[in-house]
This record gives sequence, structure tokens and C-alpha cells, in this order.
Amino acid sequence: MAGEPESDAAVVARVLAGEIQVFGILVARYRPAFARYATAMCGDPDLAADAMQEAFIRAFDGLRGCRQPERFGAWFFRILTNQCRNYRSRWGKHEAAEPAVLVEAKASADDALMQGELRDAIARALDQLSADQREAFVLRHVDGRSYREMAELLAEREDVLRMRVHRAREQMRRFLEEQE
Amino acid sequence: MTGGWSVEAQRYLDGEGPPPTDADERARADAFLAATRGYATWLRVPGPQIDQAVIEAVGRSGGQAVRRSVWRWLVESRLVVRPAVAAAAVLALIAMSVGLTLLTRPPNRPTAQPPVEGGGGAGTGTVLVRFELDAPGARTVALAGSFNGWSDSAITFSRSPETGRWTVTVALPPGEHQYLFVVDGERWVQDPAAHAQVRDEFGQTNSVLVVGPRGVVRS
Amino acid sequence: MTVGNRVLMGVAGVAVFAASVVGQEPSLTARLVARGAPAEFAARVEALVQAAERAGLPGEPIEDKAIEGLAKRAPVERILPVLEQLRSRLQQGLAETEAAGLTPAPGFVVAAAAEALGRGMEPEEVRELIRSAPAPDAAAAGLTVAATLAAQGLDHRAAARAVHDAYRQGPSAEQLFELPSVVADMTAHGMGIADVARRIMEGGGLPLPPMAGEGRGRGPPGGVPPGQVPGKGQGQGQGSGRRR
Repeated sequence: MAGEPESDAAVVARVLAGEIQVFGILVARYRPAFARYATAMCGDPDLAADAMQEAFIRAFDGLRGCRQPERFGAWFFRILTNQCRNYRSRWGKHEAAEPAVLVEAKASADDALMQGELRDAIARALDQLSADQREAFVLRHVDGRSYREMAELLAEREDVLRMRVHRAREQMRRFLEEQE
Repeated sequence: MTGGWSVEAQRYLDGEGPPPTDADERARADAFLAATRGYATWLRVPGPQIDQAVIEAVGRSGGQAVRRSVWRWLVESRLVVRPAVAAAAVLALIAMSVGLTLLTRPPNRPTAQPPVEGGGGAGTGTVLVRFELDAPGARTVALAGSFNGWSDSAITFSRSPETGRWTVTVALPPGEHQYLFVVDGERWVQDPAAHAQVRDEFGQTNSVLVVGPRGVVRS
Repeated sequence: MTVGNRVLMGVAGVAVFAASVVGQEPSLTARLVARGAPAEFAARVEALVQAAERAGLPGEPIEDKAIEGLAKRAPVERILPVLEQLRSRLQQGLAETEAAGLTPAPGFVVAAAAEALGRGMEPEEVRELIRSAPAPDAAAAGLTVAATLAAQGLDHRAAARAVHDAYRQGPSAEQLFELPSVVADMTAHGMGIADVARRIMEGGGLPLPPMAGEGRGRGPPGGVPPGQVPGKGQGQGQGSGRRR
């Protein structure tokens, strides 16, 4: 066998042919790809783990419904997004907002307390977004994906996604400034 | 739409332009980027141990492509459901899932699995919803709603030769949708089977359907 | 449409197209003109939306309403007052959302609150539905559902109560969207809407179909409780065993 990794389509075909354990290749491929996204979407790493597990299992169960197995990643991503939304709205809580501050970047990078506050600020600011905006923002700024990649994953036009990310940033800025 | 960030700043934040010329705007943009980056690197993410959990779960399910049972919902519901209502709801779900094969799970199967979401939306989070209209004299019927910018031509119905009824099936995300049928490009008509009818404030009435993850039960 | 407008529409159409090719967002004015709106009207709508957003209100509902009005060929003199009324309802929605303790108020909750108020729910009811929701997504869904239940014929108190009862079961936002179908199903099987309301007020609640994935035993599918897998790892998300 050649040293190249098997394509998603080839792995899907093998799973559907009965080699169930081979599904693990897809899990090992896409869990690292989307773990960060899931955590930012769920707001909590344990919730994200549950959501990812559930998503993979559903993907397995519904694998015959994957009409373009060469795009398994994008198909799985949508299942995962759905699970993250479910888990987040089921278990996510909105606590009373504590002051979060958009601080100027002159703060020393070693200041752990400052970093913690900034991280919390972003986490709470993400709460203010609609699900669509949060997804787009996370893909862009947390995952660092290009608009082109995002268009492929979300099956949306780049200009629509750009608008969504811009709006998300506006919402977040408004939230962060209101705390000052 | 303009908002707190200037167009310059938005391009800079997208990594597609130079920093904003205004110093304050630039400082805010840099702070925002730094905070977001800090957040991103700080995230503790699920690691490889969940891979194993998935493999074990998958192996346990017997590896068959799933056909899901509506009866599962009735039997395993955690809620106290009055039998008459439950039966009615189950009948409605069955009526809704024309085209799905319903199988009862063989008793020795270890895992219970839920009904397919929304009558076959292919696991993407949207739900297939069918719209119908009796309009024998119509030449064209279209579906205009909040989900398609109220276009009177983008989603068209087709007429069934047997029943003469106009139908179309659309994938919609869960939530509320307002819509009307557009007959012959000019008459905007309510859907009698919608959940409710509400004023649109232009002097007309919109039909409302609230789509759940399992689909809809019509009025 | 005047020649001037047609030209503008042509120009705007090009602008919209060009903007989308370059990946920028075309302005609301351009988008409305591309749909046949007179330029002055479109500019006034854009100004209205911007003013609303500066006041902390979500602009999208206003945009969507303008697009709806244009699609339905309502005269523009009719559309602007409707948008202004909507803006003031959004303002009210914002007030109720903040009064419910959700500050700053997420746009989608404000929009849902405004819609609920517009459908005749009382400010107090709206506030309570937001306050007791388990999360903002669920608050918006709960408001939407309560408003629809009321439009289906349930009286407001029963509609609000049904949603409150559903909240207590820890639903996802999407599960809440099942409720209007549940009511439609009950009435389709012969129950009068007044009886549905009575059942709710007597504490019977509406049966909320469980989320796909629940009700099948402990732990995740496959019966492997999260956390009980080899190599638990340090500080990494490994599942929470949150299921019953």
C-alpha cells in the first residue's frame, strides 16, 4: 500500500462495506481538526468532548446519508455544529456578566491575571452572538481559517460569511466597550 | 452595515489590509486581536481519548446502518406523557415520515437509537418540510417567505398529476418561519395548514410555521 | 419605475455584484435598490437601521421587514411607518431583555422579545420568559414559541406557562420549537384549544419530545460513560457524564 493517507471517500467506502473499525481513521483525522471549534462553540471542553463524541457516532450511524464522501469533513462539520448548538443551549448558562474590559495592548504579556480577564472577556462576548455569528467568528479567529475554507465548510458564500464575521466583531466590540 | 469598527479596521482584522490610521482605532483592533489569540491558545480542547470512546461505541452498535424506530420515543421517554396524546403524537410522526422505513429494533440489540431527525434532513441540521396547496385553477404556485427573502419565484411548487395538488418540499432550519404561497405570480395566499396566521403590518396576513428538529405537525 | 430609478438600479445592481465578487458587503441601500426600491427610500431605511444599531438594537429585523415590504409591493409610504413601529418595538424588547437581567442584551433575544410583544404578549410575561430560560438561545426560542402558541389560540397565560414548564425540563432551544407542532397535533386529534389551555394551567404541561439522543439509557450511545476510557489525560476535555 502506498504511504499516502487514504482519502475520506475511500475510508467511507470501506466502513460502509463492513470494516467498521476503519471509521477510527476519520475520527483521528477530524477530531483534531475541529476540537478547538467545538470547545469555543460549547464554551466548555467537557461539553465539547460530549458533543464531538455524539457527532461522530451520529456520523457513523448516518454514514449512508453522506452523499459526497469526498467531502466527509464538511458533512461531519455540520453534524458537529448541530450538536454543539444543542449542547450549548441545553447546558450553557448565562451568568450575570462581570465587567469585561477591552484593554489596550500595552499590558505585559506575562501578566497572567490580565490574560485571564481578557480570555474571560472574549468568552463572554462570544455568548452575545447569534449561533451563526459565533460559528463564523470562531472559524475565522479561533481556528484561523480563510473565508474560502469557511465557505466550503459552511456551504455559504464568502461575502455572506465576511458580513457575518464583521457583524460578530461589531457585537463583541459593543459588548466589550459597554463594560468599560 | 457600519458599526463600531471602521471599514479599515475590519479589513485589518481580516488580515487583508494595513492597520487603521487612527491610533485609537488601531489600539483597539490590536487589543481585540491579542485577546482573541489569547483566548484561542488558552482553550483546553478534547484530546485523543475521545477517539477511543467513539470507536468502542461504534463497535458496540453492531455496525449496521441505522434504521430508527419511532416507537423508541414512546417507550423511552423520560416524561410522563398521557397515552392518548402520546399515541396521537406518534401517529402524527408516522404520518410525517412517509418515505422512511420504520423498523422495530430487534430485542437483543444493545443500543437504543432515536428517530431520524426531521424526516430525513440528511443530518445537516435542517429539516425537510412539505408544503401543499389545493389550487386547481392555478398556473403557477411559489413559496415566498422569511427564509428566501420573500422571493415570489425562487421556490416553485409542482402539481401532482394524480391529486391535482400543488406541493413542494424544502429544507428549513428549526425555528419560526413566516411565509405565503404566491399563486400565478400575483395572489399571495395563506397556508391553512400553518400553525398560525399573523399580521404582517402591510395589511396582509402571514402564515407561521415553527419547525422543530423532528419536523412539523400541521394544523 | 422612472428612468432615473432604473439607471440607479442598474448601477446598484452592478455595485452589489461587484461588491460580492470582491467579497465586501454591499450596503443596505444598494441591496434594496437592487430589489426595486427608490434610492431615497433605500437611503432612509439604511439610516434608520444604522440609528437603531447605534442604540444597541439589532438591525436585521428591520432590514428583513423592509425586504418583505418591497417583495410584497407595498407602497413605500406604508413601509417606513412599519419600520419605525418595529424599531420602537425592538426598543421595548431591549428594555424587557435588560430588565430580565440579560445585559448586554443579545440581538437575537431582543428581536424575539419584540416579536412576542408585537403578537400581544405582556411585557411582564416576556420578561419572565427571558429570566427563567436556561440560556439565551432557549430564551429566544421560548419567546418565539410562546408567541406562536398564543397565535394558535392559546391564551397568553397558558402559552407562557407551557414554555415555563418546558424550560424546567432542561430542553435545547430546538426542542422548544416542537411545542407548536405538539399543540397542532392535539387539536388535530379532536382536543379543543380551550382544553389544551386548561390542561396546561392544571399543571399537565405539554409533552416535549425528548431530544434525539436522550431516553436511551445512561451515558452516550454505546453505553460508554464519558471519562471512563483509557488515558484520561490531564486537564483535557474528556466528557462530563452529564447525562442521566
